Amino acid sequence: MYYLGIDVGSVSTDIVLVDENMHIKEAVYTRTKGRPIKAIQEGLKSFKSKYTKNEIYAAGTTGSGRQIAAMVLGADATKNEITAHAVAALQNDKDVRTIMEIGGQDSKIIILRDGIVTDFAMNTVCAAGTGSFLDRQAERLEIPIEDFGDYALKSTTSLRIAGRCAVFAESDMIHKQQLGYDSSDIINGLCEALVRNYLNNVGKGKDIKSKIFFQGGVAANIGMKAAFERALQCEVCVPEHYNMMGAIGAAILAKEAVMKSGKTNFKGFDLIQNEFISRSFECADCPNNCEVAKLEENGFVIGCFGDRCGKWGGKLVVNA
Amino acid sequence: MKIGIPKGLLNYKYMPFFQGFFYELGAELIVSEDTNKHILNEGVKYCVDEACVPMKIFHGHVASIKDSCDMMVIPRIIQLKEREFICPKFCGLPEMIQNSIPNMPEITSTPIYATSKNKLFSWALQEGKKVIKDTGKINSAFDEALRIQKHHHNGIKNKGYKLNIALAGHPYNIDDHFINMNLISKLNALDIGIITEECISEDLINSETSNLFKRPFWTFARNSYGFTCHLALNKKVDGIIYVSSFACGIDSIVIDLIKHRIGDFPFLILKLDEHTGEAGLETRIEAFVDMLERRY
Repeated sequence: MYYLGIDVGSVSTDIVLVDENMHIKEAVYTRTKGRPIKAIQEGLKSFKSKYTKNEIYAAGTTGSGRQIAAMVLGADATKNEITAHAVAALQNDKDVRTIMEIGGQDSKIIILRDGIVTDFAMNTVCAAGTGSFLDRQAERLEIPIEDFGDYALKSTTSLRIAGRCAVFAESDMIHKQQLGYDSSDIINGLCEALVRNYLNNVGKGKDIKSKIFFQGGVAANIGMKAAFERALQCEVCVPEHYNMMGAIGAAILAKEAVMKSGKTNFKGFDLIQNEFISRSFECADCPNNCEVAKLEENGFVIGCFGDRCGKWGGKLVVNA
Repeated sequence: MKIGIPKGLLNYKYMPFFQGFFYELGAELIVSEDTNKHILNEGVKYCVDEACVPMKIFHGHVASIKDSCDMMVIPRIIQLKEREFICPKFCGLPEMIQNSIPNMPEITSTPIYATSKNKLFSWALQEGKKVIKDTGKINSAFDEALRIQKHHHNGIKNKGYKLNIALAGHPYNIDDHFINMNLISKLNALDIGIITEECISEDLINSETSNLFKRPFWTFARNSYGFTCHLALNKKVDGIIYVSSFACGIDSIVIDLIKHRIGDFPFLILKLDEHTGEAGLETRIEAFVDMLERRY
């Protein structure tokens, strides 16, 4: 019996398969590249030859693309990222009291006490200081993002980079580069700026207590981990599957859902060959002019999103 | 005479008064549609960039009806209560509109000091005269408008839901279902009932704000602070959701004041701007509801 969990995030789509004891059997990390369905199909390719539909006991989705993923997959649980991350971290360690998660577009802090989420915060409408910004800077400096942390650790002098806004940070970085400062020191300064911004924005007023988990794609950056440890003056743990925690949470939540419902909605791995077409149109039936996205699987409409009145989204959910 | 009333800012709350007043004077009323994508786009196009999104939306409402009316109601609301003020953008709203939107019709720019019936009447007299010369008519239209406003019930108080939250924020952010992405029906669908600040008594709000080290300068701040703190400290709700416009100066202070007062009581801040993608908002409210359910 296996449980499938998919986290469709802004930057990456993470897929895990866990066994009864929540041990990871498969973990696939792909880039979403703005095409969530394609990312899911690509990610599941290697599963088809190894597993049958009947071996999958439950499937769950999370992430900002969780709704569309749920329709493509036939999911048993569709949950927000906060709950999914908390569930996965608690599975890993019952004593975790703070989760810091930085993804491609979101940053979050989750405060837990005795295994229950008691408080959380997310970045507001602005996505400054998240993974996509680091990605962009790595690209601009022509340093692979995987090596970003190593560069930061090589730094000998701490340079100050403006952290309040990604655009401010970028111009501050460029100005320092133009004066000839060392790349490692600039990258380290950037990590410190992001940590400062995170703690002052998302983490403001939160009671950050250890054990602290640092998860999400940005946790791969050892420069960020080190900067957090310097700022918080305590150890920060990066769990083994730090970039899969959302997906693991989705798998656990799916297991719980099927234990209640008794059977899974999972469609099977044939979905990787199916043709999914997503179209957007503007509904002209009222002045709201909602932008509706319509999802078709092999020519059958399986769902709609984005309408405010529920006329499209409400009635078209049928399994093709 | 055709009087235009844009459906934005505090016109949500005081629509019955303005409509009643000009209707009684014999004017034809042109009310803008509910906020929609076109209105938002027009507002962003005309309004100064630094303003908050409800200000931009108001500009969009004005633009949508400016060519079909002879005079536009742009209320320059300065005071609703003695020794308190409304956000300064309201004081300069007529100038913002006139300098940002071309070919405007005449507007009502007399300041509104609604601290007493007499003071409010001086607005009615000045603006009423633009429609009709007869002061007796203005007098009776004013009384009728006040009566209609008094009988109009603002605010929301749901009953029969599993959990209940206080929904705080400036009234126009709560009343504009386009910009808050149908927040209220989304919460109701998650089995969450809501209560808004209009539904608790002024005395309870005031007794809570009297604990502050200084009386609040802003009316919005007093209402939001008193309302949320009273309900949280007396455990009358399970959590608070505060809807706030991005870059709102008043909220930046009042939100921190509330946090200090209520300690670890569940509190979620939803920032609104031009965004119409709903995934971000849904994630936040869903996670908040999950947390409330697991806490209780």
